[in-house]
Amino acid sequence: MSAVTFDEVTKAFGETVAVENMSLEVIDGEFMVLLGPSGCGKSTALRMIAGLEEVTSGMLSIGNQVVNDIPPRERDIAMVFQSYALYPHMTVRKNIESPLVANKRTRLAPAEREQRVHEAAEILGLTEYMDRKPGELSGGQRQRVALARAIVRRPQVFLMDEPLSNLDAKLRTQTRLELVELHRRLGTTFVYVTHDQVEAMTMADRIAIISDGRVQQVGRPQEVYDRPENLFVAQFIGSPPMNTISGTLTTGSSGRTVQTAVGSFAVSDGTGAPDGTPVVAAVRPEHMAVATTDGAGLSGTVENIEMLGHERHLLARVDDRVMVARLGPEDPSPAIHDRVALTVDPDRAHLFDAATTRRLDDSAVAAPGNAR
Amino acid sequence: MTTTLGGAPDRAPKRTSQKVREGLLGWLFLLPALAVFVAFFYYPLYLLVDMSLHRENRFGIGDPPYVGPSQIVDTLTGSDFIEGLTNSGLYMVYTVPLGLVLGVLLAVAANRRLRGIRVFQTIFSSTVATSVAVASVIFFTLVNPEVGYFKDVSWLSLDNPDWALFSVSLSSVWQNLGLTFIIVLAALQAIPAEMEEASALDGYGPLRHFWQITVPLISPALLFLAVVLVVHALQAYAQIELLTNGGPGTATETLLYKIADPQGIRSIGTKASMSLGLFVLTAVVAAAQYGLLSKRVHYGD
Amino acid sequence: MTLGEGHLRRRFATFGWYTTLVALSVVILFPIYMLVLRAISSPIAFINAGQPLRLVDPEWDIFSRAWNDAGLARAMLISVVVTAVIMVGQFLTSVMAAYAFAFLEFPFKRLMFAVVIGTLLLPIEVTLIANVRTIRDLGWLNSVQGLSVPFLATALGIFLIRQGFMAVPRELRDAATLDGFGHLGFMFRVAVPLAKPVIGSFLVISFLSAWNQYVWPRNATDEGAWQTVQIALRTLTTTRVDELNLAFAGAIIAALPLVLLLIFFQRQMVSGLTAGAVKG
Ligand SMILES: Nc1ncnc2c1ncn2[C@@H]1O[C@H](COP(=O)(O)OP(=O)(O)OP(=O)(O)O)[C@@H](O)[C@H]1O
Ligand SMILES: [Mg+2]
Repeated sequence: MSAVTFDEVTKAFGETVAVENMSLEVIDGEFMVLLGPSGCGKSTALRMIAGLEEVTSGMLSIGNQVVNDIPPRERDIAMVFQSYALYPHMTVRKNIESPLVANKRTRLAPAEREQRVHEAAEILGLTEYMDRKPGELSGGQRQRVALARAIVRRPQVFLMDEPLSNLDAKLRTQTRLELVELHRRLGTTFVYVTHDQVEAMTMADRIAIISDGRVQQVGRPQEVYDRPENLFVAQFIGSPPMNTISGTLTTGSSGRTVQTAVGSFAVSDGTGAPDGTPVVAAVRPEHMAVATTDGAGLSGTVENIEMLGHERHLLARVDDRVMVARLGPEDPSPAIHDRVALTVDPDRAHLFDAATTRRLDDSAVAAPGNAR
Repeated sequence: MTTTLGGAPDRAPKRTSQKVREGLLGWLFLLPALAVFVAFFYYPLYLLVDMSLHRENRFGIGDPPYVGPSQIVDTLTGSDFIEGLTNSGLYMVYTVPLGLVLGVLLAVAANRRLRGIRVFQTIFSSTVATSVAVASVIFFTLVNPEVGYFKDVSWLSLDNPDWALFSVSLSSVWQNLGLTFIIVLAALQAIPAEMEEASALDGYGPLRHFWQITVPLISPALLFLAVVLVVHALQAYAQIELLTNGGPGTATETLLYKIADPQGIRSIGTKASMSLGLFVLTAVVAAAQYGLLSKRVHYGD
Repeated sequence: MTLGEGHLRRRFATFGWYTTLVALSVVILFPIYMLVLRAISSPIAFINAGQPLRLVDPEWDIFSRAWNDAGLARAMLISVVVTAVIMVGQFLTSVMAAYAFAFLEFPFKRLMFAVVIGTLLLPIEVTLIANVRTIRDLGWLNSVQGLSVPFLATALGIFLIRQGFMAVPRELRDAATLDGFGHLGFMFRVAVPLAKPVIGSFLVISFLSAWNQYVWPRNATDEGAWQTVQIALRTLTTTRVDELNLAFAGAIIAALPLVLLLIFFQRQMVSGLTAGAVKG
């Protein structure tokens, strides 16, 4: 069963189309991350699930119920906001209790309320702060109060909109783990919005990558990393991002190669694309190396070597762009301004149709649920 | 209450009923205020126009006949109205500049780190605890021609037609001091300390600093105060009634005093016409006031 | 050497400022001192003594006489009741209208806002004559409703509180929506508490202007029994010279609530006055 289903959902604010024809199934119990750059429409998608934005067209369901016309308070969801949105004038206890008392029709008996609030506070380690106001808490504690206010409802779906972005780096890492733990413990569906791919990769069961209001790819973190469906995903996922270079597909003596302005490299391909197809090749830095033999690879000049402690990145100017190759621990460091040739691991080069930006590799079957 | 918060336009029928409900609720919430505004702000404007278009006969018997705008024209060009206008104008001239200067003087004097400065600040604010009536009684003890402390000082004499209005206006100047002080002090305290230091480093002397840095920075507050003091001057009534009853003769009858007409010597039509004159005057001032108000809120203070 | 000179100059400046501060204090306090002096001294004896700056034949019972015999107790009661009705009324109508303008969509919203702001052009001084007629037609002369109903709504209150409401963050509104608050719940349990500073300032303005009113109560009443305390002061100043100290003592009594306000709500008073700058 799916917890949340977008069926061709569009949301327009006047002229601006924030979400366009989105189809997405969030499976019951999974940790789904909506990932995309700023302004891509991920918050809008989340707010539609909450009922805070109305659906312009299409159908949105929670569980088996179409919720287009269901007011927010009657949807079985809870949301954690980026700013936490705690009531500054209420104590932690009152804040957590608020969803249980605000709605007169679903108000719980005091004893049960008490018990649920206590339970939520316990889970998040807030029991000693119950009588403080949000202003007297640290950022991390406030964030936990927001989480407690969400879990106290025992909703069918948790919605979170960049809940970690106001925390410092260390706390963010720690809270990431705690959220995964919380998800495991509750077994409830999470829909989590972020623009931070590290958050997405480390926490998600599945990631939906969104750009310009459209879903680009849905899949498990490893899947989207290994087999990006299109050029956008290829360039968005991974840090440093993939190197891209455009060229033409040809067949040579050693198999298929991509011919570029600055050299060529072999690719092991499964596509039926004919010779002469214009392509964009994308290669992760760890799949490029500095050539040890002459004549192979892409030629360029070394611009810089970045030392990151555990690894080194070589930045080389190739044609009109800078490409990044990760140097292995044993590899020698070329000097700046040296001419070098970069080779590409043929099995790890991703090929995209230059016209459609879709993946050429025909073995890349769409992940279940969505592909576009 | 079963409606929910938020909600933007939508086509779905269910949401439409919600929208209608929100619209109804909006009107319901607005209604009490609106009822008061209609009954006691807008309807009276209609009444005033109606009253000034009809002229009461001498004994006030029967319905007053329609006379058209002639009564308004007669009243607004008559010597009675002109005198009231002049006196109200003079009242502004007496109270506004003096009030601003004294307010700034108080605030500048009290805006420094000295031991016991809070005591002085409290003293300077103290006149906000007086109403116009109380302030008038206080000045009664000073300038009343029979029992006032300064009854023999000629330029404060309420018996002197040339000085009576000025003498009365001093009660307003005094009474406004607290308000002016509080507002100017707040404006002064909003000036960042770095300004002071920067201008000291630039070699500004205290006087040049005051004119070139302080005054421009507090000028929005001063402008605002000027409008407020003008409004207060236009509203001057209690102090006239308590201190002079408009006298000697009619020397201290302001516009509002003539409209309120405690001795009941003017006809309704005349007073209504004068009210329309006051309305035009107020409208000009209120427009300025609203402009300033929204600007101030916009500054975020 | 220069250091000593600067030090000396600073001490001189400090002395100068203290002199100025004291002089200004005298200007402000002298009238008040005179009022207190005249209230307690016996009126005729004070004048006969040549108006000295000290008490003459003190009549310490003057305050209880003003309160009991001169009708100030009743006048204070009426002032308190009328002020309370106006404050509660203005609070309710302003909060509700401000809520509608800040959080609700309804037809003719912009026009209605213009109607609200437009009332600033029509202060009681302008509408006085007409409103007196309305009140008389309603049979409300000499009544609490006659003294208060015309002031049960105010554009300034709606305007200020609306500003306060609009400062409530959007995410907080969303959170309240999801928590299931209806409009009334949100208004009284979230929006009003959050706008407390603005509402506090407004209530101060509301109190001051209601308590200090003069023109309207003077014209909407013609019986002594319905005088507010401000109007009672006028009546007292028109009595015999040997009873003038009743008026002076009355002025002190009438100012007391404001003095208390100034002492206990100084912060709200300052922000209220800065926000609205009303007539006092
Ligand atoms: N209430 C609104 N009115 C008009 N346009 C809006 C509204 N809300 C969002 N938009 C527009 O819709 C688009 C998507 O906005 P959305 O908030 O969903 O982006 P986002 O992916 O959450 O970005 P971010 O990471 O910056 O939060 C943006 O172009 C935004 O300007
Ligand atoms: Mg967002």
